[in-house]
Amino acid sequence: MKKILLSGAALSLLLAAAAMPSAAQTALFEQPALITSAGQSADVQIASVQARKAGLRSVLIKAAGPKDLASAKTLVLVLGASLKGLGAAGLDTPKEKERVASLLAEAKAKGIPILVLHLGGEARRGDLTDEMAAAYLPAARMAIVIKSGNKDGLFTRICQAKGVPLKEIEKTLDLVEPLKQAFK
Amino acid sequence: MKRALLAALLSASLVPLPAADRHTPRDFQARRGLVVAAHPLAAEAGRDMLKAGGNAVDAAVAAAFALNVVEPFASGLGGGGFMVVYLAAQKKTTVISFREKAPAAATPSMFAERGEAAEEWKSERGTAVAVPGMLAGWDLALRTYGTRSLAQTAARAIELAEKGFPVSPTFSAINKDEYEKLLKNAGEESVYLNQGLPYEPGDVFRNPDLARTLRTIAEKGAREFYRGELADRIAAAVRAHDGLMTVDDLAAYQAREVEPLRGGYRGLEIATVPPPAAGGLHVLQLLRIMEAWPVRKWGPGSVASLHHLSEAMRFIFAGHGRTMGDPEAVSIPMDELLSADYAAGIAARIRPDRTAGAYPVTASDPAKDRRENTTHLAVVDKDGNIVALTQSINDFFGSGIVPEGTGFLLNDHMRDFDTDPASPNAPGPGRRPVSSMAPLIVFRDGRPWLALGSPGGLRIFPTLVQIISNIVDHGMGLDEAIEAPRFFSSSGEGKAKPLAIESRFPEAVRKGLEALGHKLDVKEAYDKYFGGAQGLMLPARGKRLWGGADSRRDGSGAGY
Repeated sequence: MKKILLSGAALSLLLAAAAMPSAAQTALFEQPALITSAGQSADVQIASVQARKAGLRSVLIKAAGPKDLASAKTLVLVLGASLKGLGAAGLDTPKEKERVASLLAEAKAKGIPILVLHLGGEARRGDLTDEMAAAYLPAARMAIVIKSGNKDGLFTRICQAKGVPLKEIEKTLDLVEPLKQAFK
Repeated sequence: MKRALLAALLSASLVPLPAADRHTPRDFQARRGLVVAAHPLAAEAGRDMLKAGGNAVDAAVAAAFALNVVEPFASGLGGGGFMVVYLAAQKKTTVISFREKAPAAATPSMFAERGEAAEEWKSERGTAVAVPGMLAGWDLALRTYGTRSLAQTAARAIELAEKGFPVSPTFSAINKDEYEKLLKNAGEESVYLNQGLPYEPGDVFRNPDLARTLRTIAEKGAREFYRGELADRIAAAVRAHDGLMTVDDLAAYQAREVEPLRGGYRGLEIATVPPPAAGGLHVLQLLRIMEAWPVRKWGPGSVASLHHLSEAMRFIFAGHGRTMGDPEAVSIPMDELLSADYAAGIAARIRPDRTAGAYPVTASDPAKDRRENTTHLAVVDKDGNIVALTQSINDFFGSGIVPEGTGFLLNDHMRDFDTDPASPNAPGPGRRPVSSMAPLIVFRDGRPWLALGSPGGLRIFPTLVQIISNIVDHGMGLDEAIEAPRFFSSSGEGKAKPLAIESRFPEAVRKGLEALGHKLDVKEAYDKYFGGAQGLMLPARGKRLWGGADSRRDGSGAGY
């Protein structure tokens, strides 16, 4: 099974290098999913709305902790740093990094695959978001990003280096179909 | 041939040279009239009004109407603001104040009694909405100092609302930031969402409801907003979200003309807005403190400069929460706060070798304010009349509440009141909340030289002071001064809050600051947390006008 997944990942990686990757031909994730944020931007809410439209069973917990993974079979991590969001959640940057690190550690321990989303486009790039992308993307089984947020190829570079299939979409409206394909 | 070449050169000079990137400083130039605003389409609306013979006030209102359409998340009919007007023929400077007011049913404890939910009731419920002053202010300015009607100044905005325009990355990012609030209060079908999702860059944004509202105002005047069907819709929307506002509150609203607050810096004179705006007062206070320091010698962005200014900000904030309120409801010791003794007293408490560590205790905590909201525009016309206008609906997308069928957002300026009922800035019937806005005009040898303002909540006054110092002390050009890296500090509950700095400050400066005891909060390289300033310069010699517009948002200029 692992070999099949790796082959799928390698194939997807090759496609990612082309102009239009089609990473999620094979479902990589199971339901239910826990949707959470890395950086507390409101993009996590978009992910939740689109997951609902894709018919997925999911729970949105913006500042989820390891215990929230108890009944999840997939972790959807929505990258995007927002000062406003961090403030509203009563978090600062170190606390947020600590929270996400503990969540990823728990997911790894439980063998729960991670889907990373970046839905904020170019405007949701910045020092902290880029730092989080570098730290968390390597742990992903797949990533879906808005194309304008990958103009400089940051996500492509990380995904290629770490063998993570990458799917680019034009707009958040386009997220529904890749989600349907990615989930069983 | 020479004449043709000269004409070509002059024509070319009106257009800024292409910048290496959007942050590279570039000054907009013009010879007769110039408008700077937070969106190019708004600047063009103002410029076209000038070209059509309107004066600076007409152009400012035309640009302000346009901003309601193209930057609807920052200001609009549902908000309020302050306008500094310089009338060249009379050499007179005046202020139009159209700050929102609390409804008559407001009480000092109305938020405190909500306990931990107070912030939600101050920002996302109907109780967040203060009586809007925007249209009354624009109308008063036009009737008193303009030459055009509301209908004429609204025409371009109506066109933009109907035809639409491509959404910028800034618009899209802010739309995403406020998505949850919009879903909750405006609904999935709102014009401020695109098929229930935030707009993406390049999507076309149209607002037919707002176009219809503006046409109604153009036909029936401001009275329709305060006493007509629009008033009914506003009150109904507020009350449907658990708010207090009534049609009587709207009918009672009046904008007013007031005397500017005046001060100076190194021989320059400054005219700005008085309370309930605290921003103007704090600009003058900080500049007065700085006059005692060798800021030029320290150099821009130096450890000494950042250290001294950030300490001064902390002491100013310590006084803010104890003294500021609606001047009609509380007594503010303005003479004392602006005195040389007050400035000297703060300067004396700032040690060059370390942070003070302790500051006078105040209940509020400015560091918790992360709002990047509001907008600023400035206009100069061919006769030398000037307008510096800062306006807002408070948080981006305000309260998120849109009166049915109107297309405009209502403010959440009740959030600017203190929750503490004992505060001089506690809510009360008809009270105006303290504002950080600080549009200003700087005079050199009695002639207007610089018009400036910025959004950015509590960062407004530190941002404006840094820009003024960059120009006056460090000889920077206008946009260079605006684009230069910024910082902000505050104190709360008697303690220093982290010194927020843009990441462009070099490592050596950061280490130097840490060695003096500052805890740093490093923001993005160009972070709209620090505002989005716009300014105009009118050099004494030469006829060219200069404009600077902040790349931290979509600032732009248009002149002729």
